[in-house]
Amino acid sequence: MSLLEVENLHTHFITRDLGNRIRVATALNGVSFAVGEGEVVGIVGETGAGKSLTAMSVIGLLPPAAKVVAGTARFAGDDLLAMSPATLNRLRGDQITLIVQSPKTSLDPLKRIGDQLVRIQKAHRAVSDDEARRNAVEMLATVGIPDPEQRARAWPHELSGGMAQRVLIAMALVNGPRLLIADEPTTGLDVTVQAQILDLLMELVQARRLAAMIITHDLGIVAHYCHRMAVMFAGRIVEQGKVADIFKRPAHPYTKALIASTPKQIAARGYAKVGGLPPNLYALPSGCHYRDRCPEAEAACTTEPPLVTVRDGQRALCHVVARGTRVQ
Amino acid sequence: MTLRQFLLRRVLLVIPILFGITFITFMLVRVGDRDPVAMLAGPLADRQTLATLRTEMGLDRSFWEQFAIYVGKLIQLDFGKSWESNNPVIVDIANRLPASLELLLIAMLIGAAVGIPVGLRSAQRPNGAFDQAARFVSLLGFSVPTYWFALMGIFIFFFKLGWAPPPMGRIGLDAIPPPDVTGSYFIDSLLVADWSAVHSSGTRLVLPVLIFSVIVAAPIIKHTRAIALEVLSSDYIRYARASGLSPFTVRRIALRNAFTPVLTFVASELTGLLAAVSLLEFIFAWGGMGQWGLNAILNSDFAAVQGYVLTLALFSAVIYVMVDIAVLMLEPRSALKA
Repeated sequence: MSLLEVENLHTHFITRDLGNRIRVATALNGVSFAVGEGEVVGIVGETGAGKSLTAMSVIGLLPPAAKVVAGTARFAGDDLLAMSPATLNRLRGDQITLIVQSPKTSLDPLKRIGDQLVRIQKAHRAVSDDEARRNAVEMLATVGIPDPEQRARAWPHELSGGMAQRVLIAMALVNGPRLLIADEPTTGLDVTVQAQILDLLMELVQARRLAAMIITHDLGIVAHYCHRMAVMFAGRIVEQGKVADIFKRPAHPYTKALIASTPKQIAARGYAKVGGLPPNLYALPSGCHYRDRCPEAEAACTTEPPLVTVRDGQRALCHVVARGTRVQ
Repeated sequence: MTLRQFLLRRVLLVIPILFGITFITFMLVRVGDRDPVAMLAGPLADRQTLATLRTEMGLDRSFWEQFAIYVGKLIQLDFGKSWESNNPVIVDIANRLPASLELLLIAMLIGAAVGIPVGLRSAQRPNGAFDQAARFVSLLGFSVPTYWFALMGIFIFFFKLGWAPPPMGRIGLDAIPPPDVTGSYFIDSLLVADWSAVHSSGTRLVLPVLIFSVIVAAPIIKHTRAIALEVLSSDYIRYARASGLSPFTVRRIALRNAFTPVLTFVASELTGLLAAVSLLEFIFAWGGMGQWGLNAILNSDFAAVQGYVLTLALFSAVIYVMVDIAVLMLEPRSALKA
């Protein structure tokens, strides 16, 4: 059994238009994946594909208009989606922690960073002030903040983006979590700092044998740091499997196009292969959501695509792939 | 920068502002087509009397000469004399300011005590039933003129229902005004335990204070709601939830972060209200500084108008300096703590 098992997750945005008619955006349309103990899973896809929404659905932090309408998300066997808000709140920040993409604005502006590290510990377990403070300073040292004793007294606005992200990593690790969710952890950072932060983060994840979910649209990050990956398009995972397998032999046309769009490939070929707009979530096409942009689309693609096992652990959601392999 | 340096700089900055306001007021009161000499002398005065009076009042001199004399006296804290009352302006203001402040500060306390919680509650569920109702009340307080509220209040609660005492002053004829301590009849009569004066002045406070509270609360509701909405949708609140902090702690973080902007807003609103209260004082014959200032404007009582405007400006300046100090103490991002 994996640590986190998400099964058939459907999340909708339910809003009203100007005429007060109800509009439904089907943002997640049956997302299933798993993260094993000590496994690092990358989730990639274009903006609006539902990467962050998947994570937010799982940890119960959806914006008011969004609702999980179907599915389960089992964490160590317990369904997170069926839990009381208070029970789920006890897991958040303790067993499951989050690293966000806007570290500077995510820290409480009116509390010193050491105090924030103390606060998150005391919220989840009985720990003395002295011990919590020792842990905080130790954690700051672990994430590579120089002079941690002194820096614990710093205010969030005094930190650089990279320092603030280190503090968020410290916040995410100080309670000894089992699952770490990093939602575009380096998007807001300077390019030179990005690699340092990711190296630090993944080093700590590996040293502690944590399970991690890395949400990104940077395939390079996935190739470097992840064991397995899932490719999302319009609220579905269109392909998932071992990183090495997918990069070597992508099956789904969208994955192929994505991999063909890395700067190196584009430079070699002279043009980009992924084109077009994300589909309208208020009126998704029937069958395969990618068919309007797919160079290999055929008549069968207007019906629901089958989930095909390409090879051990690599699965794609596609008619075209199905013709070449056995249907699961 | 130390606190003392900051304060010194801040206070020094007030001086040019006050000077500018003095100049503008001085100019504006003289632009009107009303001649204070003619008004003071009455319709029967002859040419000779008018000329003598004009020289006595110093109005025959050039504008710049008059201004120089005025500023020269102002530096010695001499605000001149009111032509109406023949009292030094500063004495008239000192007599009347407490009555205005009594009305203003009580209404401000009620307005903030009601407006801030209502605004916060509104923001918790935007467009919910409570929010809709609060926004309607706020809009009403914004858009209905003060005098209409006052007249309707008097019509209903004094004339029709007879619950409120007559809208004529701060204390009834049957009660003796208490000895002056704070300047508020209500508090002063409490201090000497004169219960008939307490009752008389207290009941007279109710209607104008309530009406003014509505005017005060309307913008507080609107701004508190906007500030709270912004804080609640901030990254740090989202992150606090993701950190599994208790709902109580999350709310405390939100309140703490909304506190400074709300305080700044309420205080800056206060600066405008000392002028806004004048209409209400007029209708309730309150005898406060606002009513006196309005009269001075209507009578072209130059020194009194200038004294009135300068007092308003000084009041604003003092409040702004106080807000700055408060923000400095509350905000880690402020220059003093860096």
